[in-house]
Amino acid sequence: MSATKISELSWFHDFPPFFTLQPNLDTRRKQLDAWCSLILDYCRMKKVCTFDVNDASKFPPFFNAKINRQLDSNFIQVILEELRSRGNIEWEDKSKRRCLVLWKSPEEWAKTIYQWITAHGMNGTVCTFYELLHGDDTRSAEFHNIDPQLFRRVLGELEKRGQATVFADNGTEGVKFS
Amino acid sequence: MGNVFGKKSKPPKQPAITEQDRAILQLKQQRDRLTQNRRRIESQLEREREVAKQLLKNGQKDRALLLLRKKKMLESQLDKSENILENVERMTHDLEFAQVQVDVVHSLKQGNDALKKMNELLKLEDIEKLMEDSREAVEYQNEVSNLLSGGLSRVDEEDVEAELDELIRREESADISRLPDIPHHREQRPVVSPTRTKQRVAIEAD
Repeated sequence: MSATKISELSWFHDFPPFFTLQPNLDTRRKQLDAWCSLILDYCRMKKVCTFDVNDASKFPPFFNAKINRQLDSNFIQVILEELRSRGNIEWEDKSKRRCLVLWKSPEEWAKTIYQWITAHGMNGTVCTFYELLHGDDTRSAEFHNIDPQLFRRVLGELEKRGQATVFADNGTEGVKFS
Repeated sequence: MGNVFGKKSKPPKQPAITEQDRAILQLKQQRDRLTQNRRRIESQLEREREVAKQLLKNGQKDRALLLLRKKKMLESQLDKSENILENVERMTHDLEFAQVQVDVVHSLKQGNDALKKMNELLKLEDIEKLMEDSREAVEYQNEVSNLLSGGLSRVDEEDVEAELDELIRREESADISRLPDIPHHREQRPVVSPTRTKQRVAIEAD
């Protein structure tokens, strides 16, 4: 099902040379551009917020069974590095195995969440992470069911702006919005 | 509000966390747990209904009955947790609302204090004197403007009348030169137009 969706995102996913790193620098630039936008589009479509290098071979955009092609780990590293330099991924650990996928920058996420909070008159109230991420009220919100790691990252952004305070009580965390 | 347990004081001020906030967080956590519990039971019920149907189809009536009994038990549990959830939610709302009320009372008190301070700045005698002074000033101002406007309007009046006279005179002379020729008695000329012009002139002169 996801494969058909990917082919809707880009036609070159069915184009065999797309899966080989191009030697010509100009071509390679275009190829990397295309890969980056394909990955971000895919993650946005599927609401994928994290990526684990160990699972790279299972990540649908990285292979295409129809034309029997898949990316080698070297090419994947090149793409990830490209995405990182564009600020679209952030490594979560030093060994660069896990990363956040930011098809929306933390600043944009912070704005989205704060706008939602304001629209629902929840300024000054305390919320649990669970109710914001999985509650019935946020079902139509864009940040519903996003990855908790990403959510933490965005809350950090809101804290920097003084729009939220994250605090813990009895081990479970909550956030208070201003 | 008294007890403020702000965690960090970074340059942009983050909202401070109070004891009440912690209490609310606890309640909301409890609510989340109950919600999770409800979701779990609901999905379990759904599954069990499916299985019972399947069992009936296979003719395993006893097991289906057993399953339905379990389902009944789960349903009553669901009811109970629903009630608890309601209690918890009501408590949370009460707490949040009480906090709002405390805030309101606090700001009303502050407003009252500020008002008192402002009132202390104003002494009644001072105000009376001030009002007296300003009344005198207004009267004086009125007199001055009366004098001025009276003089001005008389001059204006004369100007306007002179202009009006001038206008009427000019209109009349124009009227005379525009009169039609005396009609020949044989032709039945329409006599309407000159009268009309005259009427128009009269209106304009008015």
